[in-house]
Amino acid sequence: MMEKQSFAEDCRALAAELGGGQTRRDLIRSALALGIAPAALALGGGAARAQAGKEVVLVNFGGVAMKAFDEAYVKPFAAQGGKIVLDGSGALNGKILTMVQSRHVTWDICDAGITTLAELGPHGALEKIDYSIVDKTKLDPTFAYDEGVVNYMFSSVLAWDKSKISGEPTLADFFDTKKYPGRRMMRKDSQAMLEFALLADGVPKDKLYPLDVKRAFAKIATIKKDLLFWNSGSESQSLMRDGECVMGLLWHTRANVLADETQGRVTYTFKDGLLQPGLWVVPKGNPAGKEAMRAIASMQQPEGQVKLLAAMGNGPSNPAADALVPAELKKKNPSDAANAAVQAKINADWYKANHSKTFQSFLDLISS
Amino acid sequence: MTAPADSARSRAGLSLFASPATRYWLLIAPALLLMGVFYIYPIGRVLWMSFTVPTTGLDNYELLASSASIQRMLWTTARISVLTTIFTLLLAYVVAYALVHASPKVQRWMFLGVLVPLWISVLVRAFAWFVLLRREGLINSALMATGVTDSPLSLIWNETGVMIGMVHYMLPLGILPIFSNMRDIDQRCIAAARGLGASRFEAFWRVFLPLSLPGVVGASILVFIFSLGFFVTPALLGGGKTLMIAEYIKVQILEVVRWGVASMLAAVLLIVIGVLLAALSRLVNLRKLFGAG
Repeated sequence: MMEKQSFAEDCRALAAELGGGQTRRDLIRSALALGIAPAALALGGGAARAQAGKEVVLVNFGGVAMKAFDEAYVKPFAAQGGKIVLDGSGALNGKILTMVQSRHVTWDICDAGITTLAELGPHGALEKIDYSIVDKTKLDPTFAYDEGVVNYMFSSVLAWDKSKISGEPTLADFFDTKKYPGRRMMRKDSQAMLEFALLADGVPKDKLYPLDVKRAFAKIATIKKDLLFWNSGSESQSLMRDGECVMGLLWHTRANVLADETQGRVTYTFKDGLLQPGLWVVPKGNPAGKEAMRAIASMQQPEGQVKLLAAMGNGPSNPAADALVPAELKKKNPSDAANAAVQAKINADWYKANHSKTFQSFLDLISS
Repeated sequence: MTAPADSARSRAGLSLFASPATRYWLLIAPALLLMGVFYIYPIGRVLWMSFTVPTTGLDNYELLASSASIQRMLWTTARISVLTTIFTLLLAYVVAYALVHASPKVQRWMFLGVLVPLWISVLVRAFAWFVLLRREGLINSALMATGVTDSPLSLIWNETGVMIGMVHYMLPLGILPIFSNMRDIDQRCIAAARGLGASRFEAFWRVFLPLSLPGVVGASILVFIFSLGFFVTPALLGGGKTLMIAEYIKVQILEVVRWGVASMLAAVLLIVIGVLLAALSRLVNLRKLFGAG
């Protein structure tokens, strides 16, 4: 809660809060995945490892995501003769880098994001995605990068409290405390927040990049005293639910839950949101080698992705999944064609070159 | 007498008749070795990174002088730690004074009140403050219902909130050293001062207060050191706007992977704390302060 959380990490927390909780079996299973599987891999050594080369260790943030991933990805891959072992310990940038640098890599695929590309790419800690195995026609090519490939989609969106805001506010209104007085909240990260500031300042959706950081900072500074910054998804949810903020920029998954639990008092729009990919990345020197790429390719099947949407709210990355999404889920799906059309898309190249220093300056701005 | 026998005897002599100091050293050697291998060495490795990552040299330390970001964060850390220490000491002194002068029965209940918060997780406490201090929280609702204020006070999501949470956390750490010092003050000194014609205030100001100062100094350094490394409370109650050194280091390690900068800051923190502890050990009896004596 006090630590800054990634979207992938929040998926697990959210699913847990929604009532799934961790059953005893889940616990045992994750304990198995956490401890025994990597240990077995590590101890196996030469011949045994060659045999177990089929086993792909996939790291997510644990909890209920274990069950959802199991249904959506592990079982379909098993049906194709492969084997994925889930590890719920969470692949933070620092952890991946430690593993790669100590040449003791036990992870094959990590549930990560754009900032992982940006921070770890320059360290040479990621394998190139093999697009002769991973199918580029089964995804939006915008989100297929050299060292990472989209696994699901999520959005950062504008939500507001209808009991305090009349009408449908725009991003410009978010930065206009005269028109709508009251506190607002943002994520404690420059990612997506700079885009929102620029959109509010009149930059067109398709001309956001390269981001004019100075202009975005200046815009944010105009309402700094009315801003709160959230670290974790659950924090963003409680700040809106408890009426601490009249408007907020947060993840669509949390916004969906807020809309449900407040019976529509808090609502949101995908309009002028920012569509972002969750990424699979493969640590350099991963134990399963190319088998990891085959696992990624298997996870491109639309059926599993729709299951993940139903379980956790993550949008399918394969456009073919659109046709399979039930009507009531469509309006909650960030990558639904209609929703995607009104959003801006994040540009990873810009983040690779600029994220580290921009994020630091962003922290400096909000803490000064 | 042959040479081998001679050396065997001297070996036996070494183990049996070595000075007591050597034997003590041998006894704690396994523990020291353990500490050395699993604690000192890894920490040394980490701190060494501050000189070698990303390039060899003092570049990371140069940032202390050149980076406005780091300077501001250090200043925030110092400011909050000093203010927390001052407020904690003021409150802790009052509580310790009351404790010392309470009857044994009352004292037991008061102690319970001081110690119970120590056993409650810092996270839980931060959330409790959130319930009390937020816009529509208990305190603001009460103040507005009784007409003391018209609009809710900003008690949380700023440095005020951070300070409230931190002072609350630090209070037992302030109260206990001051109390243990006050308990040892000979109450007859006060009686003597009064007998010689001092007013109550004078007796306190010129006799009791100076006698209690070692406890205050000890408590202040203890509280200050804890405050320096505080992480959870500023992150939760500061609304994301209060960036202190612990969080800064975490960001450097886990997110932007600038390990050299992180280990440089860790080294700085370690040095500052080491210097403070050294100063403290000259002023007061550390063993007693930490409850060993």
